Amino acid sequence: MKQIALYGKGGIGKSTTAANLSAALAEMGMDVLQIGCDPKRDSTRMLMHGSWIPTVLDQVREGREASITPDQVVFRGFGRVRCVEAGGPDPGVGCAGRGIIATFQLLERLNSLSGDVIVYDVLGDVVCGGFAMPMREGYAQEVYLVTSGELMSLYAANNICRAIARLAGRVRGRCRLAGVIGNGAGQDGEEPLVRAFADRIHSRLVTFIPRDPVVQRAEINRMTVIEYAPDSTQAGVYRSLARSILENRDLVIPTPLSMDDLETLAMEFLPA
Amino acid sequence: MTLKPLPWSSYRLEGCTLTGALSVTTEVTDGVTIVHGPAGCSQHNASLIHATLLDHDTPHLLRILSSDLDESGVIFGGEGALAACIREASRGDPSVIFVLSTCVVQTIGDDVAGVCRRDWGLPVIPVPSAGFLGGGFQEGMRNALITLGERAGEGGRGGDQDRRITLVGEKNLEHDVDENYGEVSRLLALLKEKPCLRFIRGMEWTALSELSRGNLNILREPDLRAVGDLFATRFGIPYLESFPVGFSGSLRFIEETAGILGLDPTAALEEERGRQEEALAGFDDLRGERIRLSPSPVGTTEPFAAEVAASLGLRITDDGVPLPLPSPLPVGTAGLLRLLHHWRRVLHA
Repeated sequence: MKQIALYGKGGIGKSTTAANLSAALAEMGMDVLQIGCDPKRDSTRMLMHGSWIPTVLDQVREGREASITPDQVVFRGFGRVRCVEAGGPDPGVGCAGRGIIATFQLLERLNSLSGDVIVYDVLGDVVCGGFAMPMREGYAQEVYLVTSGELMSLYAANNICRAIARLAGRVRGRCRLAGVIGNGAGQDGEEPLVRAFADRIHSRLVTFIPRDPVVQRAEINRMTVIEYAPDSTQAGVYRSLARSILENRDLVIPTPLSMDDLETLAMEFLPA
Repeated sequence: MTLKPLPWSSYRLEGCTLTGALSVTTEVTDGVTIVHGPAGCSQHNASLIHATLLDHDTPHLLRILSSDLDESGVIFGGEGALAACIREASRGDPSVIFVLSTCVVQTIGDDVAGVCRRDWGLPVIPVPSAGFLGGGFQEGMRNALITLGERAGEGGRGGDQDRRITLVGEKNLEHDVDENYGEVSRLLALLKEKPCLRFIRGMEWTALSELSRGNLNILREPDLRAVGDLFATRFGIPYLESFPVGFSGSLRFIEETAGILGLDPTAALEEERGRQEEALAGFDDLRGERIRLSPSPVGTTEPFAAEVAASLGLRITDDGVPLPLPSPLPVGTAGLLRLLHHWRRVLHA
């Protein structure tokens, strides 16, 4: 079983990438489980054709965790991808990080963490230990950073490198950086910048996903690109990403950059 | 030689703010204290306090409720659980509800003060605590006293007679709490005075109104200066910063009390000096003994130890018989005499 986690700045396109990746893997005959680890609970929505599925923490909120069954939290979406949303508290109250930990404990108890590939789609900033849960022993060994060429996106990716390096240094820490996925924001010189960032942290650019209006059209139609426009160039990019991830054995402990080095790097690729 | 352990060292360096705050708020006899957090925090503290009181032969049922925060409350916020607990507590018709917070509540950022500010039909008072995150026992106790001190003047109409002396911050969990009260009362009686209010020991909420009408506050220990300052600022009430310690400290206590209240201390001082000299004569058998005193983990004890040794003709040496020095130091002449009786048992064992 391959377990991968996608991390990156909020709004950078992690969920879109994760859903299309899961759809592409499912097309290849894989048994895929995608887990959205974000209180926004929208990771799997395109796989579920726009439906907001009940979350694991909804069950906890209702006090039903003792009697919960897998069919109450695991739902089949496009390509028979099994979809789970952790959910979380309303903004400004409670502890979302603890919610992620509780979700993992519950899914383990239900023996739901199974399949050929598990894709963890995690809240952008690793603000506390709870959001690092997918990186811990027993869960995703392979972490992919999703980033555009925008400085704050790279900054968030660099911060996640710090978390990976810290967790990898622990006894029995198995978490490694598997690569960088560039998700284009449409700015000039973006792909070389993301590639250079990946090199500097001693990793590599796995795939660069160019910006394409078909992504937005697919989302308006509540589908992944794989389902909405299966013959499009963009669908091909996602399939290529899926193949690269399946074949990837290049796992590293990254070397995070200092803030100064990160800014210098961005300056090098700033359009004149 | 055996050293019989006595429960004298009741200075609580460990423990969290909850224990300290509970030692104060549970002494409001018509109030209820809510511990907002997991049930274990309430259980642990209630058990600790109950065991201590049992050891002192003064057990009583503590009016504590837990908001019983569970996993769901931690994830989604515990304000609902707190509100439910306040509702439950108010059904018992208490005069006041105190709300103490635990570590986890502080961590997840519950707006405890906001919940308490709602219209509950009775005072619901948040006490800064936050378990270990808020500090230790002393901070919890001090915070509770300050929080209640800030409400002084509330609680309804008090008695009509003018209050004169209030004892502030008695250590309700120390073994000798009532003996110490008795000793302070005895010394005040020499001046024909008496403590009128114990803030807070066995006090009703309505008595809070009387706190503003004192002439003198006597703090249990200097660590409570902030509480003394609060009353001094709000109501102009002067304070002594500690219960008396040692022979000279007891005489100084009489002098300072008399000075603040405008009394003549001459007769009281003469009577107390006579009592001290008479008592010391009963310990002549200890003269010349070589002793060694273990330093107190809190505060400076050297002046106290030096005075006791000098007055009894004891010699403090590195190879002397080790003797216990309690924390906090014994209160007044009577407290010191209890200590000397104990030392005699050790030295003559």
